[in-house]
Amino acid sequence: MEETKIVNGAWELSTFHFPIEGRGLKTMLKNMKDKKLVGFKCPQCGMVYMPGPFYCRKCFIRIDDEAEVSDHGEIMTFTIGYADVRGNPLDEPRIAPVVKLDGCDSWIMGVLEGVKPEDVHVGMRVKVKWAEERTGSLQDMQYFLPE
Amino acid sequence: MRNVGIIGIGYTPVFVSKRKEVNIPEMISEAVDAGFQNTGLTPADIDAMVFGNMHTFEGVNLPHLWAAEHIRSLGKPVMRIATGGTTGMAAFHAGYYHVASGMADVVMVVTYEKHSEGDAQVGLMGIITPEVMTMLAAGIDVTGGSGMGAIGGGSAGGISFQASSYLYHSGAGIEHIDEQAALERRNAAKNPYAHLKDPEATAEKIAQTPLVSWPIRFGHICPTTDGATVCILASEEKAAKLADKVAWVLSVANCASDATTANLIESQITDPAEHLPAIIASKQAYERAGIVDPKKEIDYVEIYNGFAHQTLMYLEKIGMCEVGEAHKLQEAGELEMNGRCPVNASGGVVSTNSIGTSALNRVTEAALQVLGQAGEHQVEKDVHTALAHGWGGLMQYVTITILGDKPKKA
Amino acid sequence: MDNKVAIVGFNMASALDLETTRERLSFDLTRGLFDDLGIERDDVGTFIICTNDFLDGRTISNVFLDPSVGAYMKDESKVEMDGLNALTYACMRILSGQYETALVATLALTGTQVSPYLHIGYTLDASYDRPIKLLNELSAAALEARSYLAKYGYSEELLDDIALQDLANAARNPNQARRLEGVSKDQIAGSAYLYEPLRELHCYPATDGGCMMLLASEKRAKELCDKPVWIKGIGRSTDNYYLGDRDLSGSISASQAAERAMGMAGIKDPRKELDFAEISSLFAHQEPLLAEAMGLLEPGKAAEAYKSGDTAIDGKLPINPSGGPLGGHPICSSGLMRAAEAVLQLRGEAGKNQVEKADVALAHGQDGVCAQQSVVVVLGT
Ligand SMILES: [Zn+2]
Repeated sequence: MEETKIVNGAWELSTFHFPIEGRGLKTMLKNMKDKKLVGFKCPQCGMVYMPGPFYCRKCFIRIDDEAEVSDHGEIMTFTIGYADVRGNPLDEPRIAPVVKLDGCDSWIMGVLEGVKPEDVHVGMRVKVKWAEERTGSLQDMQYFLPE
Repeated sequence: MRNVGIIGIGYTPVFVSKRKEVNIPEMISEAVDAGFQNTGLTPADIDAMVFGNMHTFEGVNLPHLWAAEHIRSLGKPVMRIATGGTTGMAAFHAGYYHVASGMADVVMVVTYEKHSEGDAQVGLMGIITPEVMTMLAAGIDVTGGSGMGAIGGGSAGGISFQASSYLYHSGAGIEHIDEQAALERRNAAKNPYAHLKDPEATAEKIAQTPLVSWPIRFGHICPTTDGATVCILASEEKAAKLADKVAWVLSVANCASDATTANLIESQITDPAEHLPAIIASKQAYERAGIVDPKKEIDYVEIYNGFAHQTLMYLEKIGMCEVGEAHKLQEAGELEMNGRCPVNASGGVVSTNSIGTSALNRVTEAALQVLGQAGEHQVEKDVHTALAHGWGGLMQYVTITILGDKPKKA
Repeated sequence: MDNKVAIVGFNMASALDLETTRERLSFDLTRGLFDDLGIERDDVGTFIICTNDFLDGRTISNVFLDPSVGAYMKDESKVEMDGLNALTYACMRILSGQYETALVATLALTGTQVSPYLHIGYTLDASYDRPIKLLNELSAAALEARSYLAKYGYSEELLDDIALQDLANAARNPNQARRLEGVSKDQIAGSAYLYEPLRELHCYPATDGGCMMLLASEKRAKELCDKPVWIKGIGRSTDNYYLGDRDLSGSISASQAAERAMGMAGIKDPRKELDFAEISSLFAHQEPLLAEAMGLLEPGKAAEAYKSGDTAIDGKLPINPSGGPLGGHPICSSGLMRAAEAVLQLRGEAGKNQVEKADVALAHGQDGVCAQQSVVVVLGT
């Protein structure tokens, strides 16, 4: 069968505007300068989200009360990356855990250092390693370390 | 509620990586024509159509408009449904409600994906483009090198979180994922509409493929496929006139949750391996179908497994076995085509993924087993009832369909 | 469909720039609707979201909207068309007997995008129409307008008369996004040509907006509100993609959809039996064109009707008393907003734009270039 002609096209994402909810992230970044983690707590069911939505998913009401969250937590799940987003191999495998911090119900993703890939496990206790110089950026929390 | 049955199925002649000799509407029309040929129906018999695919993958918005003439939809109501990976089954459910509501008697559901005309990774990243942009502005390291919220793991990242958590909670090992991938590629070799076929596939062979993101290897991951599928649904009255054999829809159910990929902006609260939406949707589907013990009453299962661990994981979530049992059933050979709990005799999504069709193909493959028309990949045991499952979005959406060889009693 | 499914309430917002996020808009509108009706999310049986990935600029646009419309751990599906199609699906789910209530959630933040016409651009034949760059939503509408004007020998002035009626209605309607106080015919005729004969004020404005609507079965509807508005009939149809294969001076999709909807509702003489119509006319000429196709206006009598005021709020058959899409067209929500405006009229709550007799109404929605697809819903008290 004859092959068809190929016509190239593009999906111009640059022409779209992406308004994104910012309250949770803003509050979190602001407090991280002082090595503090702050989320929002639902007054009805007590769920704590960080940075999270401005409403509770379960109760479907607005939440405006801030709540402090610990910088210690538990690994809920993890992966070990061997390739980057384009599938190119990494120089060294990289451990990426998803952590539920104490006092928080939502999960947060990061990088885990100070442990060999074969020793990581679900349920492992970890703590945040804070950067020496903090600027109110996600880089302020450098990585997790075993507790 | 009116009874609804599947009276016809149509596939493109092949499901392969690149269909370069046809364009999008032409490829879809092959499946539509097959649907008409297989049933002897003509476009005049169709009251309404439902159409679905993931249109950002090819960059064509609302492709049912461009394809209108090719899918024989002129003068007909056409409803476009899109819910991500579950699109095919969500479209099937819309077709079901067309008939169950009495708004139509005969409905054709049309789904397709032509991955070769787009970029699936770009399409998938498109789900979280605004969030990634915001996180970049907040100091995230997109290479995953450092900082909280780092995007670790690459392309299969989100899924590997689910897989590693599943392994931990079930006690299964990576070798079980290897074996599941091998088992399904062997099944695929018997299905003329499968993409990745390997009659000689073994766990050892899969284990040699590189790790992408632990515990997910290259060999556990679905291909990107070009293909289209149609499914024709009819009311009980019409089915009696139009078809010799019918696979009856006993129930349908869906459930949505939050995005479960540790997205920093929205904050995940649901465990992707616990997968509450799958538990809720399947329970609801059993209740609606009058099924009390799925382990005994469901004879065959089609699981949407873009990644091989999901066959095992979802068998547990939908109650076909207890948590921690699926890999033991696999070891005992029960998941094979001649086993007691046969699953994905079609080869599953891990062997064929033209994404818009994938969740519909779970239904059509389950229907073929119920009808006894699956040919070389017909399972050994008698199939009276079958369950088809789909998941999609950011692991936050589940669809379930239960089929039977007899209509539901009023 | 004798009074089996009713619209029990809705909540909508529309503006040129709502200055919000998708999550905030959907939460605020849904929460507001729940508060109005005194219900919680557990009272909703099923959710039908209606958005478009190309408008959102993101794949699977319902992923982050499920929780923000209250669908966390609930049954949900997504229709990717005009909102009246989502209403149709919600209606089917209730009619099937599976659910008692369904929330239709539609939204798009298209007001601040570079061009609201983009998403239609992406629907075009990728291998021909797109590379040659001649066809787009506006040029197609202009071809359609010219074809319609030429059919009956109308002058371009008719477009100004139609736009004046719509924009004046819109100016009095607090739900509309483009409200031009004291809009005049000169102002319309003096606005710039976009594609001749279509001028800026003949075309829909880029609009942000959303509309959440709750449907319920007969039993639940009577429990939930005092003035349920019943869905009497629904009809849909599809025309050819290629403009060359269509008669652009009319609309097959609209005439077939209307015939089906009115057939279901038992309406034989729409000009007599309908009290008013809300039509998704994205461009001025589409209002009489679609009205004719649906049997609401006598073919060839559009110029007279607009001059004599037959289509005005106090006319024989008011068309778009809300102001229609020329007052605001949040894509995906737009058709559902036509139904919502009709509900206001049928309940006698349309304020300054209230038509005198409002018992039976028609709402129309469209998708594709020049209404390639139409959906028509007949509503009644
Ligand atoms: Zn709460």
